[in-house]
Amino acid sequence: MEKVRSPKNIFVQGPILPEKIAQSIANHATKTDIGGHSIFLGQIRADEKPEGKVIAIEYTCYEEMALEKAFEIREDIFAKYPLTCMHIYHSLGEIKVGEICLFVFTSSKHRKAAMQACDELVERIKAELPIWGKEILDSSATQWKVNT
Amino acid sequence: MPNYIRLKAFGMLAEKIGTDSLEIENPGSSEALRRLLLEQFPALQSLTFRMAVDRKLLQAETDISAGQEIALLPPFSGG
Repeated sequence: MEKVRSPKNIFVQGPILPEKIAQSIANHATKTDIGGHSIFLGQIRADEKPEGKVIAIEYTCYEEMALEKAFEIREDIFAKYPLTCMHIYHSLGEIKVGEICLFVFTSSKHRKAAMQACDELVERIKAELPIWGKEILDSSATQWKVNT
Repeated sequence: MPNYIRLKAFGMLAEKIGTDSLEIENPGSSEALRRLLLEQFPALQSLTFRMAVDRKLLQAETDISAGQEIALLPPFSGG
């Protein structure tokens, strides 16, 4: 029977902890048809700006729209690649330099589907989800992040 | 029934407008709303933003009905 999927929360308040990532990997041990995982982790970078160095990014979002859109992207990717599993987590609130703010995790029987799906997911998350990052600088100035 | 719409503003736009939500009289279309906003908040004139109606990103100008939720969205910068 085809599994019916419904929108789920992708947002995590605060940074995504390495322990959570480890636990998430461990949770797949019982899914023995998986042959490959692909993981992308976004980390806050200490960019040097003319006004100061980035020490944190504060994320906000339009939650209802973001969750609807994330669900749509999820369905598209599931339709396009033969995946066993897909997980997306994005941080909200203030995330410090060096901490993880995005965790995308795909699994499939053979590696290529997981790798391509993971790559496409990250691109679509950055381009299509209504999420905004405000960079906090060591000069205590702030500026809105621009995705490149 | 009063013809009002709910506006939500995000990111840099909320900062420029000074609030993240307001209720205004429905100007009738997305084009008219954009004109009204630029007039009322001249700080928006130098910014790029898109609109969503009831959580769907607008692809073209559209009519707006009373009670709809309009969101003003600066360029996304998640990830």
